[in-house]
Amino acid sequence: MSALVLAQLHERRRSLLSWGLPIGLWSAFVVAIYPSVEDALAKAVASYPEALKQAFGIAELTSVEQYLNAEMLSLIVPLAVGYLAVRSVASGLSGAAESGRLDVLLSAPVSRRRLVAAGFSATAVELAAVLAASVLIAMLGSLLTGAGLSFGSALAGYVSVWPLALLFAALGIVVTGWSLHTPVVTGSVAGVLVAMYVADLVGRLDASLDWIRYGSVFRYYGRAIEDGIDPVAFVGVTAVAVTVAALGALLFDRRDLSS
Amino acid sequence: MAAIETDGLSKFYGAERGIEDVTVSVDAGEVFAFLGPNGAGKTTTIRTLLDLLHPTAGSARIFGLDSHRDSVAIRARLGNLPGDFGYGKRSSGREALALLAKLRGLDGLGRAEELAHRFRADLDRPLGQLSRGNRQKVGLITALFHSPELLILDEPTSGLDPLMQEEFLTLVREERERGCAVFLSSHELDEVERVCDRVGIIRDGRLVAVERVSDLLAKTMDRRRVEVEFADPVELSQVRELPGVAAAEFARQTLEEVFLTYYRDEEAGER
Repeated sequence: MSALVLAQLHERRRSLLSWGLPIGLWSAFVVAIYPSVEDALAKAVASYPEALKQAFGIAELTSVEQYLNAEMLSLIVPLAVGYLAVRSVASGLSGAAESGRLDVLLSAPVSRRRLVAAGFSATAVELAAVLAASVLIAMLGSLLTGAGLSFGSALAGYVSVWPLALLFAALGIVVTGWSLHTPVVTGSVAGVLVAMYVADLVGRLDASLDWIRYGSVFRYYGRAIEDGIDPVAFVGVTAVAVTVAALGALLFDRRDLSS
Repeated sequence: MAAIETDGLSKFYGAERGIEDVTVSVDAGEVFAFLGPNGAGKTTTIRTLLDLLHPTAGSARIFGLDSHRDSVAIRARLGNLPGDFGYGKRSSGREALALLAKLRGLDGLGRAEELAHRFRADLDRPLGQLSRGNRQKVGLITALFHSPELLILDEPTSGLDPLMQEEFLTLVREERERGCAVFLSSHELDEVERVCDRVGIIRDGRLVAVERVSDLLAKTMDRRRVEVEFADPVELSQVRELPGVAAAEFARQTLEEVFLTYYRDEEAGER
């Protein structure tokens, strides 16, 4: 397993630069400008419609953590990292099938399930590395500008994205059970990602539609940067992601791999 | 025990036939060629043997093991060159070999350096920067570097220059001497004739002939061709009696010509 995981991580080593760095720099920028916009923000938020504040989880914007949550962690980071997750897992399966790599790997004594497990594990490590880089760069922005971002809170906020993104990686594996075309895999799961986000948003805006949020993993996402990580939600979503990935591995094992 | 043994192996893609009722056996130390035009079912047969495709009916056994249930154990003992070798554009051949060696539990790269020298292959350049022929050389090395008991090669000389094709044929003979079974598909009938012990001819997914190369050629000596133009039909005896003719003989057909007769006969029948 480790050789396959390391090989996939080696292939994806540029993710830190192409995903971790931009997300981190954007987060650092948000953190860095907070001290200069703090007063204006308080007035602006007071004028926001109540429904909008509720939808985006904006109670108050009186701390840099709340501002980072509203600007980055409530929308951009989960959607971007969720997309990265499915893109990464697809590159290890459907992308490998398209490039011919899968045929070469499966000429070695490796089962398909082991290959899927390696791809999922490599994606999990890659996501953790991208999120860790983002937190560190955001903290650097805070240190340089004296914004006072709490490392523990920021870490909790970014870490809480990990199981959510992992679930979309797992859904990507399930889709490869039907299609080995990368655009189909990434496009369909990205569609589910956006649909789940919208469903959660709609459910929060309209109390009569709250039931719709049960179909969305974003219901269990929360605001970890302010409230800390909910261990039940964190472990539960991770467990669901692993279960879905295992189901995907079974489907991948049963399908034909045409040239 | 046969290296490969299939029994009524069939693969359908929905209603479309890939292969049907393919029954063939390849022994250890034998070089077997699978001949047929594009779409005849060669690659489908190979991918089914490798458990990349699951058969619709029939079975395949390799080293006596079930090709699906025991596929991991089987692949530990074989080398495979896919029809279109690829491993990603950024990786080098050495990186691919290093991973394959680890997956096979090898400490080093086995015969990779020796083979790279023989094929003049560059293992250090990214595969995306190599020509098709040079990628094919790397693919051959990935199939051979661990000295497998069985080689399954889909169009192995595709893209290779004549010198490297010759080197490949020499290597196949050496592998046969070592006791390795070789199952290859090819369009290069001249090289099949030179190196293979038996051929299977596949047409529209069905195996229409399995013969020793020598038997196949001998059996078809009645398909004569005399490349002399006469105004009227003549017997060969008359040709021999012609003044100034020292000898006349029937031309021996090449395997390529024999192969093509299977298709010409079919086309004539359809007309």
